[in-house]
Amino acid sequence: MTRIALTVNDTPVTAEVTPRTQLAEFLREHLLLTGTHIGCEHGICGACTVEIDGEIARSCITYAVTCDGAHIRTIEGFDADALMADLRRAFAEAHALQCGYCTPGMLIAARDLVRRKSGLNRSEIRTEMSGNLCRCTGYVGIVDAIERVMAGGPSLQSAPPQGLDRNHGKPRAQAGGDRVRSWLGPAPGPVASPTPAPPRASPVGRADVAPAPRRAAPGRARGPIEVTVDVLEDVGAESRIRQSFVLPHPRDAVWRLMSDVPALARCMPGLALDGPPSGDKVSGRLEASLGPIRASFAGEGTLRRFPSDFRQVVAGSGGDPRSGSRASGSVDYRLSAVTDEAGGETTRVEVIIGYALTGPLAQFGRAGLVRDLVRRIGEALAQNLDAQLCDPGAALPQAQLGGLSLLLKALADQARAFLSRLLRPR
Amino acid sequence: MKPVAFAYARPASVGEAAQMLAAEPGAKVLAGGQTLGPILNLRLAQPALLIDIARIPELAAVGEDADGATIGATVTHAAIEDGRVPDPTGGFLARVARGIAYRAVRTRGTIGGSLAHADPAADWLSCLSALGTQVYITGATGTRTLELDTFVRGTMETALAKDELLTAVRIPRFSPRARFGFHKICRKAGEFAEAIGVVAYDPESAIYRAVAGATNGRPLVLALRAGVAAKPFTVAEAEHMLQSMRYAGDAYERQLHAAALRRASELAFAP
Repeated sequence: MTRIALTVNDTPVTAEVTPRTQLAEFLREHLLLTGTHIGCEHGICGACTVEIDGEIARSCITYAVTCDGAHIRTIEGFDADALMADLRRAFAEAHALQCGYCTPGMLIAARDLVRRKSGLNRSEIRTEMSGNLCRCTGYVGIVDAIERVMAGGPSLQSAPPQGLDRNHGKPRAQAGGDRVRSWLGPAPGPVASPTPAPPRASPVGRADVAPAPRRAAPGRARGPIEVTVDVLEDVGAESRIRQSFVLPHPRDAVWRLMSDVPALARCMPGLALDGPPSGDKVSGRLEASLGPIRASFAGEGTLRRFPSDFRQVVAGSGGDPRSGSRASGSVDYRLSAVTDEAGGETTRVEVIIGYALTGPLAQFGRAGLVRDLVRRIGEALAQNLDAQLCDPGAALPQAQLGGLSLLLKALADQARAFLSRLLRPR
Repeated sequence: MKPVAFAYARPASVGEAAQMLAAEPGAKVLAGGQTLGPILNLRLAQPALLIDIARIPELAAVGEDADGATIGATVTHAAIEDGRVPDPTGGFLARVARGIAYRAVRTRGTIGGSLAHADPAADWLSCLSALGTQVYITGATGTRTLELDTFVRGTMETALAKDELLTAVRIPRFSPRARFGFHKICRKAGEFAEAIGVVAYDPESAIYRAVAGATNGRPLVLALRAGVAAKPFTVAEAEHMLQSMRYAGDAYERQLHAAALRRASELAFAP
């Protein structure tokens, strides 16, 4: 627990909170200020909008501990505010609410907009208010209400009570308005809290933290193998890409390596097999990361081999217990011999990777990012295969796949795998 | 959802933050939290420790000289939108800032956090790639400066080492004759972009760059030859530029990116 001291609706508050306590949760559950609503709880819907040091913010993705020393204003704190009174009246007259769930956040965001800008047309008002979702009204009444108050201009916005600074709306005599105005980072800034929380020597245990992956280093003087990528049409729920690259080694050598499942698995970034294949079955774990997201898919697959075509297909599926997401996929590769300019035999490897992801990771999914991750896994595989063929004894670097983590699944031979997703902007 | 439990620390300086990062492998840096917050709430990331850098004074500092401006990593999008920081592009930064997500996000989201997260769909990544930006980095053992295109290695992947923080960005000054265009295509205002086009043109320093962003990888930057006219691109020109950038995407995506580039050029070269 961490002790915080802040001001909520002009009332000083001290409390013990866990670092993970969201500001919205603190306001509602600790202070019983239930006018702040929680909708999506991940920063999309705007129902939880409050003011922190006079600037609107999402209280569901802001943690109470980071508001130590700040001035928070919730919808309950606007009762005596003249501009808010105008907005409330306009909302009522224009039928700008029905169920009322979005209304506290909508009003606070609307007041901030009217305070900052004037003369906007309806389209501009919609754009400015696009961070607050309403599922009842269709927004027409909301835009009408804001347009009406905005058209009222400064005359409608009579002097605020309690000595608030009208232009900045910051109820902050004691915090020092000049300081707040000159601070360019997220509120509240440095002076609000004279005593930074001490670092913890041993934070919450996470025994299962994977070691930081090392960066892939092709480890050869020659340039990296160039990999071309085509995006294929989806098949059902499965996304597909095709990668193609040429390894400067004879086809028989490449085929030998790619038929050796444990050796091939070592070339696959993030993949660890549970053991040698049993018949045509193989099981293992695939780890990947994408920014802060990290996933680890444990799964199993089957191997089909078509030696006369120099073709192998691995298909499998697995799950990431931590996120409850599942991935399935297949890797189908085929080797063809190509004679290079010098007359030497090289091998073109054509790989079709199909993958599908379900569960929480997929819900956030941004398909393109997952595809990019799959692509990078494929590229790392190409470099590792080349390195292994040049020096079979070489220790392969583990490829790093990103700052966050995503995850994948595992499999066998080559690539398989897949993905995860991610997140949001800002 | 609520995040899983994490520890929280608020270092007083960049050096202290870097040491904490070096000491705790499960640590994540928290600046404005507008990306990390949702990820934590969704439990897609479960760091052991959050290191809150949002109150470190030097990270929110700005400065400018004849050659450009330096903007601290924790300066918010809203501060840039509101014209409270030096803008060596004569207003382009503020225009881009205005379109990032929503105001309630811009008041806390930071320019450095956006770059360090390196989401391909983020506005600053594409915008600053077109401007020739450098990033300043401090680690437990020293500082270094990288060009933005070297800093960003791929989707959500940067050159930052485990114990390093991005501390500021350095944006060169453009002449008053410079023209800029930024256009993003999203299905809903404020959402992640599906395609971003950026054009930066300064006849006095012979800079003429086009950037295709939100490509699911690093921004694709094309330095246009001196012979290319400073006028809106045609559809064919935009598509040719994408080819030169070695853009890989399906036909729909290619068309989106070509449209974003073309519209950015129209904004840049509007009469």
